[in-house]
Amino acid sequence: MARRATLLAVLVLLCGCGAAARQNQPDKTAADTNAPPLLAVFPVQNLSGTPAPLQKIRATLIDLLQQQGFAVLDDKTLESFMTGHRVRNVGGIDGDTAQALHQETGAEATVITTLELYVEQFPPKIALTCRLVSSSDPPVIRWIDNVGLAGDEAPGLLGLGLIEQADALRDKALHTLVAALRESLAGEREMPAAKSRFRPKLAFRSPTMEQEKRKFAVAVLPFFNLSDRKNGGEIMVLHFVKELQNLPDFEVVEPGVVFKELLRFRVIMDDGISLPSAAAIFSNLNVDLILSGKILDYQDAQGPWGSPYVDFSTVMFFNNSREIVWASKSYNKGSDGVFFFDVGRVSTANDVASQMARSVAAMMAN
Amino acid sequence: MRVYQQALFYRIIIGECNVWLKKIILPIVLAFLAACTAAPLTTYHDANMDFGSIQTVAVMPFANLTGHTRVEDRVRDVFMNMLLATASLYVLPPGEVARGISRVQLVDSTAPSAEEIQKLGVALAADAVITGVVREYGEVRSGTASSNVISIGLQMMEVQTGRVIWTGSTTKGGINMKDRLLGGGGQPMNEITEEAVLELIHLLYNG
Repeated sequence: MARRATLLAVLVLLCGCGAAARQNQPDKTAADTNAPPLLAVFPVQNLSGTPAPLQKIRATLIDLLQQQGFAVLDDKTLESFMTGHRVRNVGGIDGDTAQALHQETGAEATVITTLELYVEQFPPKIALTCRLVSSSDPPVIRWIDNVGLAGDEAPGLLGLGLIEQADALRDKALHTLVAALRESLAGEREMPAAKSRFRPKLAFRSPTMEQEKRKFAVAVLPFFNLSDRKNGGEIMVLHFVKELQNLPDFEVVEPGVVFKELLRFRVIMDDGISLPSAAAIFSNLNVDLILSGKILDYQDAQGPWGSPYVDFSTVMFFNNSREIVWASKSYNKGSDGVFFFDVGRVSTANDVASQMARSVAAMMAN
Repeated sequence: MRVYQQALFYRIIIGECNVWLKKIILPIVLAFLAACTAAPLTTYHDANMDFGSIQTVAVMPFANLTGHTRVEDRVRDVFMNMLLATASLYVLPPGEVARGISRVQLVDSTAPSAEEIQKLGVALAADAVITGVVREYGEVRSGTASSNVISIGLQMMEVQTGRVIWTGSTTKGGINMKDRLLGGGGQPMNEITEEAVLELIHLLYNG
């Protein structure tokens, strides 16, 4: 019953994705419209900076999606499409590629998966972000979620809850993501509220934003990475895309579209974005806000001891005034606010950053 | 006779005390009181400058005199956020400042000359430019005790003339009696950085 409801919800959500493309296609039969939506599962983008079994992760994800009733585009068709269109960025999709994907393969949406952390030694750790993007021009993010797990985060009585094998942890993370996708598409998913201990330490919000009460279109630009963590800037983008997209006040531009525009205008962000570059992005992406920032620390704990630590600052520009309307500074450890028996401890930097970004996004919206 | 001698003794004592009081103790007390009332020597305000006319400032990259890397970016980041959060000044975004530095072709962006500041003001449409230096940042040790310390100096120049109109410096953290007795390593770096920056902003606004 739940599966049928999910599939119905997916069909309703994706019905507008390729409206323009469908106008030139023959009418579908009733049998076709009842068919499960076809998804293209892109190869996993590796931002962990370490070798990881990306093929296994993708294969497990495809299996789980198929178990949930989704149809998945076969590898051969996807490979030939990606080769033909020279798709090299698997961490996002731009409008032209998304539309071509729909027209040539019939895929209704693309599943984009990013691996942020992968540690096989005990305790194993994994952090993944996954999103469903419509095959339309412009592509629309229909769902996005992330998961960060450590094998020792819930040891339980006598250590019975420890997960010692990386494969088991990987399967658990992927199960969590697919369950979140199913719940979200069925309208059953409730996003957790921001926790006060992860609130930004400093924040500025211009009254300009408060004067306009409407839904803002936001482009999230790569953060300037001053941390030791490889790809820290891209990782923070995904956290903010997720948290802003899950708020009703914002509509986030697919990062693949932003990436293409940055390349097209050859924007080089030396210490942040300049006003001429921001003006070009505002006009071409037709967005109200641009969010960027700096990542100063993004550290996962090494081994079973220690605590993850994240330190970043954000800046947001408003199209109308071409000025900064939001600035914040956040830094937190996974052990912040934890006093007894590790209750409430956050074990991965992914989870810490996600909760910090949630607090920042909630304050931006209010 | 005995009473006279006693009176004489007391007069000598009191007289000597008066000498001591006048020549040594009084100056010390006065100096102490003067030190208590004098303005701190950590800040300078140009008395002829109308600070209310400054609406937009550009915060230049800070100089780093410590042995640690990237600390100038950390301190500048906190300072820019805190200054913006006062909502009394508009702080130009760092990317825009970087573009200005590139356009003016500054050789050393941490210590621009008066002419370069004037050019920057035109390029960035800023009313003032703030430069800074991080003198100390990180852990200090004394015997077995350790703590975190930060020392920052800032100066503000107006762009029309390139003159220095404000300077301020502060040092926060360091090893205190509690650290010596109980240990603990002192306050975290982020907290003392915020304290130091807050004091500098207080010096900027209140002198």
